[in-house]
Amino acid sequence: MKKGKIRDFAWELILLALLLILWIVFEWKDTVRDAVLVALGRKAKNVFSFSKMVSGMQVYMLYSFMALGMALILGMGDIDISVGASATLSAAVMGVLYRTLLSCGMNPGLAFAFAICACLVTGALCGLFNGYLITRFRELFPMIVTLGTMLFYRGLCYLVLGGNTLRFEDDATWAQLKALYNNKVLIGGLNVPTIIFWFLGFAVVFYVFLHKSTAGRRLFAIGENRVAARYSGIRVDRLELAMFVVCGFMAAVSSLFYVGSASATVRADAMTGYEMYAIAVAVLGGFSTGGGKGNILGVVLSVVLFGVLKKGLGTLFGFPDSVINLAVGIVLILSSLLPNLCEMLAAKIRMDRQKKSGKEGAEND
Amino acid sequence: MFLILILFLAGVSLRVPGYLDNNSVNILKNCSLNLVMGAGMLCVLLVGSIDISVAAVMELSAAIAGVLMRDGHIQSIGMMFVVGTLVGAVIGCVTGLLTSYGKVLPIIVTLGMMYVCRALIPMDFILGMNKIARVDLTDAFKDFILVRFLGIPVIAYITVAVVLLFGIFLKYTRIGRRFYAVGSNPEAARMRGVPVNGTKILAHILCGATAGMAGIMRLAEYNAIEKGACSGMEMFVIAACVLGGVSVMGGYGKMIGVVIGAILIATIDSAIPQLFINATMMSEFFKGILILAAILLNVFLRRWAEKRRKMRGNAR
Repeated sequence: MKKGKIRDFAWELILLALLLILWIVFEWKDTVRDAVLVALGRKAKNVFSFSKMVSGMQVYMLYSFMALGMALILGMGDIDISVGASATLSAAVMGVLYRTLLSCGMNPGLAFAFAICACLVTGALCGLFNGYLITRFRELFPMIVTLGTMLFYRGLCYLVLGGNTLRFEDDATWAQLKALYNNKVLIGGLNVPTIIFWFLGFAVVFYVFLHKSTAGRRLFAIGENRVAARYSGIRVDRLELAMFVVCGFMAAVSSLFYVGSASATVRADAMTGYEMYAIAVAVLGGFSTGGGKGNILGVVLSVVLFGVLKKGLGTLFGFPDSVINLAVGIVLILSSLLPNLCEMLAAKIRMDRQKKSGKEGAEND
Repeated sequence: MFLILILFLAGVSLRVPGYLDNNSVNILKNCSLNLVMGAGMLCVLLVGSIDISVAAVMELSAAIAGVLMRDGHIQSIGMMFVVGTLVGAVIGCVTGLLTSYGKVLPIIVTLGMMYVCRALIPMDFILGMNKIARVDLTDAFKDFILVRFLGIPVIAYITVAVVLLFGIFLKYTRIGRRFYAVGSNPEAARMRGVPVNGTKILAHILCGATAGMAGIMRLAEYNAIEKGACSGMEMFVIAACVLGGVSVMGGYGKMIGVVIGAILIATIDSAIPQLFINATMMSEFFKGILILAAILLNVFLRRWAEKRRKMRGNAR
């Protein structure tokens, strides 16, 4: 029984081990570098430490919300590559609505609340549209449908923004969203960005939903075998639609933080490529695009892993961005290649053993 | 699908008189990249796989060939194409090996390959390049795009040759037919003695090679390449294939469909700025809406045809 439990978390353990190894390497590199600096008579920089990692984490958290939503979609064996575009669209709608309401003479606080609601609703609507098209047009792959809607949402962004850059200069909105992104809480001497709590909160909700509720079990059943799931009485279309809405909603949530992040301007081509980050994080977290497996814990770990990898390689080894991308690409390929190879090797060993025992059995006869 | 294209062309010509006369060459030029890559993408889609790294492969092969030209290793235009195609083919080979023997899902492999290719471009301490600019290229190569034969750019001839070659290859050769067999039912194909893994690898090699070739064509057109210059191209290539009725599940699709899809996208691209005044924002908006609408319309048409066939069957 216990062994089975450990095996259930095998992937998460591998991720944890990888994280530890990276951490030790970076820590070692950091101490070596500091020692050299001290020997040269300069001050030790101590770039890489737990507290610094935690306090700088918000940079790597932007797409983590999308990754949570994407995890649900991937768990069902679907894919959604329109999240980046729908996030930009929701941010654009938020900004434009806020401007309009302000110019109509509304109280800024109220307008802000309205705008945030509109942002979240827009995200959810984008998801709803995706889900509707996918469940309605079964002949088309989710990949193709969301490819089409991606182009469509991007086009809408251009229409809403009119080709300009949306700026939240010194508005109250901007300050509040910036605070949402940049705020830090002092816990036990650690500067913890509040975004981490938001993320963990969402992660807990998603964990409970995916692993402790009936709907979550059903979701994995759909990913495992859609037809079988339908025949066993699961309302596949309805659940799928709901999950796409959730995914769009999460995209809108991450767009809120994106607006808050230092750039704080929204252009119609902002957040392109975020869908790929989200998919990469979710896949590294153990969700496969084939569907039917995965664990939210893995997604949380892989968000941390990506953060540590980027921070360590970037600030410590001084590698340019491109090497980090190279590492991300290789990690992504290896993370799905290695389990397959292990499985194949195990299958081969089992076959050999069976053959051997079969032969011995034949000789004994 | 052909009907839609003609309808669209007719509509545009009515709005903008003389549209077709001025633009047919332009359209041909614009869709040449999409067409060349679409031919490769068709092979990959036929075997039931997908490649979203084509744009990154394009950039990488163009960058490598450009560096070789800058350092004086290559002078001729032909060699540029050979190098670009080879680089693409090597990357395609790796992708194919990983998807077939490694059994990794193609979308994940190519997503990873996309990162890797994009990362390799600005790595000046390995390949000595950051981006390729005008000064790095020879004059002959820069003028290549302007070379015309019988009033049509040479690039268009290359495109047509590639498309014809792929069309004949897929339709009339034994290896080409294997692509369909592997895509529609890999297990059955294996039983019939078709090397499934080998076919998949070949498809990926072809896709990579066409992407590399397209990269050189783009380099010739814009005279510059840098990381991320072509991002988004892969989506338009896949969209062209889907518009042309190629099934993403594998096993169904024709070259002629891809041609129509690519031309349709190029037409949308070039027509909208002429129809509306404030170009960029409206054109982006309509591009999105039209591609989505065309994809959906395609499904509707096929459903309608299915229904009619069924009704005819019942009547009998």
